[in-house]
Amino acid sequence: MLNRREFLTRGLSYGSLLMLPRVSWAAGDKKQPGHRTLVLLHLRGGNDGLNTVIPYNDPLYRVLRPGIGIGENQIRKIDKNVGLHPAMGGFESLWKRERLAIVQGVGYPLPNYSHFRATEIYYSGEPEKTPSSGWMGRALEARPSERPLRAVAIEKEKPLSLASSAPGIVSLTNFKQFQLPKEARESIAMYKEFLALGGERAAVAKRALEAFKVAEKIASLRPVRGSFYGSLGQDLSKVLALLQTDLDLEVICLSLNGFDTHANQGPQHNGLLAQLSNNLRAYQDLLERQGLGDRVCTFVFSEFGRRATENLSGGTDHGSAYPAFVLGKGVKPGLYGEAPSLENLDNNNLRYTTDFRRIYGGLLKGCLGLDPKPILGDHAPLELLA
Amino acid sequence: MEQRITGRAAVGHLLRRAGFGVSPSDAEAYRKLGFAGALDRLLDEFDLEQPKDAPTFDAYEPGLIQQLWLDRMVRGRSALSEKLALFWHGHFATSNRKIREPLLMWRQYKMLRQHGADRFPELVARMSRDVAMVRWLDGNANRKGQPNENYARELQELFTLGIGNYTENDVREAARAFTGWGSRRHAFVFTKAFHDAGEKTVHGQKGPHTGDDIVRIVTSLPACHAFLARKLLRFFSHPRPRANEVAELAAVLKRTKGDIRSALFFLFRSPRFLGAAHQRALVKSPVEVIVSALRATGGIKTPLWAHGSLERMGQILFQPPSVKGWPAGTAWLTSAGMVERVRVAQRVARSFPDAAEQIIDVAFDNEPPTTLAKTLAGLEGPERTARALASPEFQLC
Repeated sequence: MLNRREFLTRGLSYGSLLMLPRVSWAAGDKKQPGHRTLVLLHLRGGNDGLNTVIPYNDPLYRVLRPGIGIGENQIRKIDKNVGLHPAMGGFESLWKRERLAIVQGVGYPLPNYSHFRATEIYYSGEPEKTPSSGWMGRALEARPSERPLRAVAIEKEKPLSLASSAPGIVSLTNFKQFQLPKEARESIAMYKEFLALGGERAAVAKRALEAFKVAEKIASLRPVRGSFYGSLGQDLSKVLALLQTDLDLEVICLSLNGFDTHANQGPQHNGLLAQLSNNLRAYQDLLERQGLGDRVCTFVFSEFGRRATENLSGGTDHGSAYPAFVLGKGVKPGLYGEAPSLENLDNNNLRYTTDFRRIYGGLLKGCLGLDPKPILGDHAPLELLA
Repeated sequence: MEQRITGRAAVGHLLRRAGFGVSPSDAEAYRKLGFAGALDRLLDEFDLEQPKDAPTFDAYEPGLIQQLWLDRMVRGRSALSEKLALFWHGHFATSNRKIREPLLMWRQYKMLRQHGADRFPELVARMSRDVAMVRWLDGNANRKGQPNENYARELQELFTLGIGNYTENDVREAARAFTGWGSRRHAFVFTKAFHDAGEKTVHGQKGPHTGDDIVRIVTSLPACHAFLARKLLRFFSHPRPRANEVAELAAVLKRTKGDIRSALFFLFRSPRFLGAAHQRALVKSPVEVIVSALRATGGIKTPLWAHGSLERMGQILFQPPSVKGWPAGTAWLTSAGMVERVRVAQRVARSFPDAAEQIIDVAFDNEPPTTLAKTLAGLEGPERTARALASPEFQLC
């Protein structure tokens, strides 16, 4: 872990580049009250929620899933009705330590079954229209700030969830890609001269210099070591590196691929849930050991769940409602919402019981101190955070 | 009275705005014509026949259509057609990420290139039938009795009028008018059985409107002329056009029934265009950075690194981030974008190490600003070239 002194000495070794105009990464933000960093993890492909948070006491579960249903003695029971998939020891531990909230039956009216469109819906927070901004993008606009870096996506391209007119949003796959080539030194000198010209020129120069400063900052980061593995582990090591700095980001986005389990679901889903649960547990542990537990809240979602009935290839097809997870020290733990009915299905799909915008609202309120209504419309926020 | 630029500088400014900058091979010819002559030539080139497509067209390779268009921007004739097509592509922002058919995206581009200077109502009518657009905004889901409002909304919000200049009712009713406007495979198809032929009221006008009626109605509203005028000014003239500039250009659009060619002529001929405040007032988009750098050094082919570079700078052709298109101005100057702009300068300088004087000639009209001249002093070869291309002035147009 990089403490403040180490950070400063390492920073100074970048020599003349630091003669850039002083930037206050977070402290200068008198406008906004403190916030928690919101970490958004998208399980891409559509997670099979019914095998993740399992209604083991409902006889219909075995009827719907004669082949791929999880054996009762393997299920990690967390209350008298539901239990977690056997691979989720990490989440069971987080549940016992009261760090986990599980929201059941997440979805929205007239569900869409296309990966592309459903992802757009979750990222824009607006199921009814063609997306042009992200829900977090709008949140950042609602919280004007002077910070040069506010949101990071550990992705190749900026996700729609961060589409915004607000600056300070970056997508990256590794920190080194921001390494300034040595010619950048001269560029920075040129922009400083430009700054002196005033007027429009100065506005351009200011923006450019800030951008170089942000690049330099990101390039100085190193992924945090820990008991992480797999692509999620690699991404979480980068998330932790970002969380450990004085950047005080408002949101970080990342995703884990592979949940589109149409055939022979067992081993694939097993591996993914293990990766999810083990890595997030290690990550949450590390955060709390470093005293950052109160500063971060992590939300795990998918673009849809999967069909209640299994298919003939030992897997499941695209579905709708599923359980979402919220992790963190400041989270009010427990089960939220109503488990979707296994009897009253919508063409073999689970009917949603909690609109996802209620979770978003609760996160906007609890993490960023925002009124969700102008951003998401009228959906009573879930009080997820203390 | 504001100082105006003249001569070589005026021609250079025009070619930077109405194209991607002069190239060494055509610099002399344009300068001989002078500003007015150069503008006439640019507008005449609109009528040139479209370049032929590559003989084999792999419909599934998105990289190919990006390469083809970039090549046309770099070495094609009629820079204004390509620049205008880029403007329209950002305006009617359609993304191949959803369409997944490069062939359809290419056809949309060709239509925009060919008709981009026609009358705006005609362009919008064509766009309403463009198969990529139909698929992008769910035209096939818009049927009698189960309307899908996507196209009707974005048409008014983003393509013609802007927020506040239409009501929810206008959207609903317009959606009914577009029912049945769909596609089958690669062709536009109007299916009468899906069409709601009943009476509708849109912007106060009653009738059994079809999609064409909606286009006619919305494009004749004063709000449309103002909306389009502002967009054209922001792309070709100045990031913050004055209210009277917008009003004047809107009046031209009204008078000419939306003729884009006339609007551009008026815009470029406006005295303000040559004023000091308009010089290097626009931030170059990533595409403009790479294309202008290649043109200024005499490059003729788009290098393979261009694709990754454009992605890092935040602009993948045929894949705008949303129907709103791309950001503009200083929003392009992101951290990844700035690092990449420095790298672009280095890469081009490696391929064209002795191009510095050429760049100073064509990109700076042989009068480099004092700041630039100072930083170039004492530098030679690729270092000098890279410095010129990485300069703040080169990022502006």
